[in-house]
Formats: sequence, structure tokens, C-alpha cells
Amino acid sequence: MINSLKQLIGRIGSKGAKHPRLEDLPPPVVPGEQSLTDCRLIVLDLETTGLNQSKDEVIAIGAVAIQDNAVDLSDQFDLVLRRPELDISETVLIHGIGPEALTRGHETEDALLHLLEWMNGDPVLAYHSAFDQSFLERTLRRKLAYTKSHTWFDVADLMPAFFPDSKPSGHGLDDWADHFGLEVSARHHAAADALATAELTLVAINQAQKKGISTLKALSERLKYYRRLRDVHRH
Amino acid sequence: MAASSPATSRDNPRPQNTRAIMAFLREHAPFTSMDENHLAHFAEHASLRFYADGDVVLSPDEGPVTRFHIVKQGRIVGERGSLKDGETETTFEISVGECFPLAALIGERPTHTLHRAAGDTFCLSIENDAFITLLSESEAFRDFCIRGVSSLLDQVNQNIQSNAMVSMGGGSSLDTPLERYAIRNPIVCSPDLPVRKAVARMHENSVGSIVITNDTRHPKGIFTLRDLRTLVAEERAPLDTPIGQVMTPDPCCLTAEADAFEAAMKMAEFHFSHVCVVDDDGRLIGMVSERDLFALQRVDLVNLARTIGTANHLRTLVSLRTDVSRLVDAMLAHGADSGQVVKIITTLNDVTVRRVLELNLMKNDPGVPFTWLTFGSEGRQEQTLLTDQDNGILFVTPDGMSEDQAREKLLPFAETVTKELAECGFTLCKGNIMASNPKLCLSGDEWDEWFLRFIDASTPQNLVYSSIFLDMRAVFGDRAPLDKLLDKVLTRIRKNDLFQKMLAGNAVQRKPPLTMFRNFRYAPDGDRKSLDLKRQGLAPFVEAARVFALANGVAQANTLERMDQLAKKGVFDPKDANAWKEAYSLIQAIRMRSHQELLNRNEPLSNYINPDDLNPLDRRILRESFRQAQRLQQKLEVTYQL
Repeated sequence: MINSLKQLIGRIGSKGAKHPRLEDLPPPVVPGEQSLTDCRLIVLDLETTGLNQSKDEVIAIGAVAIQDNAVDLSDQFDLVLRRPELDISETVLIHGIGPEALTRGHETEDALLHLLEWMNGDPVLAYHSAFDQSFLERTLRRKLAYTKSHTWFDVADLMPAFFPDSKPSGHGLDDWADHFGLEVSARHHAAADALATAELTLVAINQAQKKGISTLKALSERLKYYRRLRDVHRH
Repeated sequence: MAASSPATSRDNPRPQNTRAIMAFLREHAPFTSMDENHLAHFAEHASLRFYADGDVVLSPDEGPVTRFHIVKQGRIVGERGSLKDGETETTFEISVGECFPLAALIGERPTHTLHRAAGDTFCLSIENDAFITLLSESEAFRDFCIRGVSSLLDQVNQNIQSNAMVSMGGGSSLDTPLERYAIRNPIVCSPDLPVRKAVARMHENSVGSIVITNDTRHPKGIFTLRDLRTLVAEERAPLDTPIGQVMTPDPCCLTAEADAFEAAMKMAEFHFSHVCVVDDDGRLIGMVSERDLFALQRVDLVNLARTIGTANHLRTLVSLRTDVSRLVDAMLAHGADSGQVVKIITTLNDVTVRRVLELNLMKNDPGVPFTWLTFGSEGRQEQTLLTDQDNGILFVTPDGMSEDQAREKLLPFAETVTKELAECGFTLCKGNIMASNPKLCLSGDEWDEWFLRFIDASTPQNLVYSSIFLDMRAVFGDRAPLDKLLDKVLTRIRKNDLFQKMLAGNAVQRKPPLTMFRNFRYAPDGDRKSLDLKRQGLAPFVEAARVFALANGVAQANTLERMDQLAKKGVFDPKDANAWKEAYSLIQAIRMRSHQELLNRNEPLSNYINPDDLNPLDRRILRESFRQAQRLQQKLEVTYQL
């Protein structure tokens, strides 16, 4: 009774009705003793219409999966969302997705459902993940009334945490990619950026494992420790 | 709707990362020449992996290799532990766009070499299943992998050889240039030095031989302790005789680039124990003794050849044949390549044939000067232990004798020789292609006429015989009459396009035993599921090489040498020539190994094998070697518009 009431409130609170396929989704993974090698990690990048979280929208999602310390290219996600009503002139130059490509995109709800199913509740990594996380979670909440939080790791923290002596020329994805000599096939293309981020993740995990960090929990704690140390230095 | 039409591909584009990987692949061989769909197959099945500097990428301990890799960024080095003090040496480097490990993957075995990342390295790899799919679907990919394997196989071969060397206590193989073994500044003297003083000089330097040179340092003769022993024991000459009168004149000379194998062969052929190493102008720079070679290869080749060459009874010769087989066994076990082994067998067979002839000449000289010819595989120096006699006589008619009279004297002699050779294990030729056949015991003019008819008639029977009579060589007697004859025959064939075309047509009759689906096609006349390695496997190479050789004035009879010459003359692309030589040698090696196994089990020798009995590597090698035979036949078909 209480549950169905909650559902009702949930439905009223969000615009759309909650999709039955959402019920079948596994719950998001919580960092524990899962081995870094065995578990599947999602590396994701979003293209948006702009940087304003309250007003801008997601227009493309690119993601790859890491398992067994390798990016498996048969397991990837490369999608342009259908958002014809949006005025995208502002960011179109950055990512090269024009109105035509947008209208060809998948129906948003379908695409997001597909994404959630593909993600399978696995931990997500992104470069400057706070940005991607808030955009994605807001979109999922508004379109699908999906409110669960995945475990997110920020690759922008992962890199300096494991390579404290490296001094890339800045803090951006490009800077670390340059530092390791990576070639990004199409910069500001969600999928290409996701792959570059995944390559950095492979480099970081390789280093983490050499330092004896072998579980999700250990990785998560190492990152917390890094951020605390950084904040101490800042203040 | 075709998947490749522009409209479709825009509606359903490949993911960005797949396209990016395809673009990367497209910049490197063999992907440059592969179809879009095959590249996509690779990209969609690829995994991307990172290796930090010094990380192990593949190790011999990991068991059979299951993935095909290409370096996307960085570098991989191959590492092998050296024999002493645990140090490692880098054996190869694999850089961006290069693929590995081909031989281990195709052979379904672990890699022999530790692969280690040098610098931060990313590799793309696909699993065995995807690799096999590409291998079977993409011609370009297949060609690349097989060529890669064959050059890698070289390395493997060298590995086996060097392993054998390790167990033998030596440090290198028979392929090593002679200069590595040669004693620099050998002891020399001039021809007028008395023997006593020359021996004193040898004694001072504690060496067993001295080279006699002229003023320009050209070797004129050689004198060894063995010569001294004979000199003293037989009281041939006093010790103050000038050494020039008792030396062995015209010593055997090789240049420094020749390899140890050649030196061993020379020693075996001519029963020398020393070979002079000379520069390009023929001036002495060093010396190699039989003992130097033995130190690196404990194979009794030279000794065995000498024992055969000096045997005084047929009985001894017959008993020595077991030693030949034992020697071949040892050489194969030590990883000698099939080209070397067939040459050794041929050399030992030659020595035997010569000795049988010499023994018979001593007993009963027919009094007609002759050259003993061999045809077919013996003529090509490609004999294995299973060998027929194919021989003939080219004689010089003595003054005052008719050709028939000369023949009458030679035939009984030839009859005895062929019979005795049969006792030594050279099976009598069923087709009576033997010197005892009056039709093959001919004078120079008669042979010339014989070939004239042979070439002009081009009957089907003649074409069958072409594989025998167009591969000929002198084993005993004066070479000059044969050279003269060969010259005429070659010129005649070069001018006769029709004969060439008929030879070519005949050469493509015997197809390599592969079905359209690249499975083995079994021999029609053998047991069920058997392949005839000689007729189905080797013959296509031998016959095609012969046609090209005869058409282009290449006088060599040996198939590998013919291919070398054809590559030199630009008739064959050097890469193709290598691939064909390798494929031919690999089939030959598999055939010889099977002969040795039969021999060890006391079973009769046969050229049939059941491919199921082979290990997976040999099976694949065999299949790919047959495919190379198909390619060579295609070249013949294109050249002669068959």
C-alpha cells in the first residue's frame, strides 16, 4: 500500500510514467571487495547543449566498458539523442553534431532505457565526472523517473592520485592524453572522448594494481584520501 | 539494400570508435589492402589493453597463445635469456602497426620469446576465433600471416639449431660464415723450403698443417701431418726434398663469406681435411680444418664421406649405408634444414656412386673415357633416403672405334655398377632409366641427337620423361662433355616456345592437394586419407621451377638454386621466390621426418602421409605450403596463357 502510494507520488512528481523495464534493472554496484580486474567498469562521456545544468540538455552519449583490464570494443555505447526542439547553435561547433544528426537520433526514453540496461548498475568513470553525473542523473530522473545513483569515479582525480609526479600542462582530458601520448580520434565526440578517458583509466588501473590496490573499495578509498590531501593543500 | 551503399551507412553508421580503429588499421600492412568489412570485423572484435614500461605482454609460460595483437601505441621487445649469467638479450622489436605473435598463434603453441613492453604501450588484440575468421575470409590477411610465419619459422629453426648447439657444447651453427671459424694468419711457406724445415715450423707453432704459397700469397698446396706420416712410412722422398714436390697441390679454397656448411660439404666431397679461406683475389687469409668444424657440429659427415670414399669392398659400402641413415637422423634431430639434409644425402650418395665406379674401374676398366650422368632427383641434388637409380653414360668414342663398339665395352661394366648400386640401397629403376640401357649409354653426338628428338617430338611420354632428363648432372668423369651438351640443349629449349608451353601445360597437371575449401584433397592412388608428399606436394614446385629455369637459360638443376637464379634474373619476385623456397623446403622436411620415422620402425619407406598424424602446426604449414604451390602454378598459367 505504501509502496504503491510512493509509486503514485513518484509518477506525479516526474513527468513520465515509470517504465516497467526499470524494474528489471540490477541495483547499482556499491564499492566493496569486488576485484578491479573482474568487475565491469563503464567509462562515459556526454555531449550537452551547454554547460548550464539547469537549462542545457544531453545530446550524445558515448561509453565503453572495461573488464579484465581491457577495453572490449564489442561492448560499447555510441548514441545521439533525439532532441529536435532544442536550440543547439551554441555548442554545435564544439562537438560537430548538427540539427540533422540530432533528429535522426533515438527516441530519448528508449535510448536512456537502453543505456541503463547496458550500464547494468556497474560503476561509472568519467573525466570531471561531477558534470556528467549531474547531467545524466537529472535527465534520467526527468525522463524515466529513475532516481538511483550509480557509483562514480572521477578520472580527473584518478590520474594525479596515481601519477603524483607527472606534470601535464593542465588539468583537462587533453592534457593527460597528451602526457601519455594518446591520440584522440575525434575530440568532443562523446564516444571518442570516452575511449580516451578509458585509455587513461587503463593506465591508472595498471599503476593502482602495482601499488596493491585491487578492489573497488580500495580504489574508492584511495581517491577519497587523494581529495582530502588536495583540499588540505588548497586551504 | 547493400550494407555498403552510402545511404545505408549514413543511416546506420558504425560507432565512432570502430571507425577510428579501422582508420588506424588502414595505415598499416596488411590492413591497407583488406576489405572494409574485414577491417570492421577486426575493430568490432578488438580489445584494447595497456602495458606499462617493462610489463610482460606474452610469456612462454602462459601456454598456447590465443590472441592476435597489433601495437597501437608504444613498442614491444622480444627477450631471450642468454646461456650464461641469466642476462637477457633483445631479439626483436615490434613497433606501432606491427602484428604479433604469428607463428605461435598459427602453431597453437606458447611463444618462444618473452614479449615485454618498452615504454607505455597500448595493444589491440582479437581472439583466436575472430583471427581464424579473418584468416579464412581475407586473402590479403592470410598472405601476410603466412609470409610472416615463414620468416618467423626461420627464427624458430635457428632456435632449434642453437638449442642443439647448446647441448653439443658449440656456439653457432653451420650457417655461420666461415671467417668466424677460420684461423687467421695460417702458417705458410714457399715451395722451395725443405720438408724438414717446414715440419719444424709446424712444430714450433703446434699446428697440423702448413699452406704452401707463392710470392703473391696465393695458395699452391697444402702439407699436413698425415702427409708426413705417409712420406716417412712409405719412404717416398728424403726430408730435404723441397716441400713443393710432396705437397698436395691445388688446395680447396673458399671465400670468407662461404658458410661452414659449404666447407663441410667440400671436405666430404673431396676428402680434404683442410680448406683455405681466401679473399676475392684468391689470396690466402685463413684456414679451416675438419676439426674446427667438428668442434661446432659433432656430425661425422666428413669422416663418413671419407670412409665411404676409401672403402675397398662393396661389402663395406653396403654396411656404411646404415651410417648414412643415422647421420641424417642426427642432423634432423639437430634441426638442420631440409635443404642441407638433402644435399648431405646427395653428397654421400655421390661419394658412394663414385666409389662403386672406382672399385669397378680398378677391377675391370672398359677402356672408354666416360662421364657418369644422373637424372631426376639425384640430378637435382634432392635425394632423400628413398631413391631410385636414374643414370646414364656419356662417353667419348676412342679413335679407331665405332660408337657401337665403345658401347659394347661399356654396357657390361654399367650392368655390374648398377647391380652393385642396388645392393647399396639405390633401387633399380623400374623404367630402366639406367646406364646399362643401350639407349642411355651414348656418345656426345648421340645424346645431342637424342635431345633434339626429345624436344621436337614433345610426345606425352617425352613430357613425362622431361622431369628426369632435363634435370641432369655429372657425378663421375670429365664434366666438359656434359657442359657442352647442356649448352646446346638449353639454347634449343629457349628458342622453342611450343616446347616450353607444353612443359608448362604438363607442369600444371599435378595440382597441389587442396580442395576449393582449402581442405586436403587425398591422393587418388594411396590409402584413404593419405597425401603423396612427393607427387602432390613437391612435384608442382619442381616442375614449375624447371619450366621457368629452362625458358630463362638457368643451367642449375637444383630446385632451390633454380628459384634463386630466377629471382636474380627478375623472373620471380624475390618475396615470392622466398615464400616458394620455404614452402618447398617445409614439405621436404615433413617428408624426410616421416621417412626417418618409418626407418626407425623398420617399415618400408613411402611418400604417403596421413595429415591427421601431423601436429596442428605441421598441418597448417603443409596446407599453406600447398597454397604456395597453387600460386606458383598460377604464375605458370599466366605466363604461358594456359
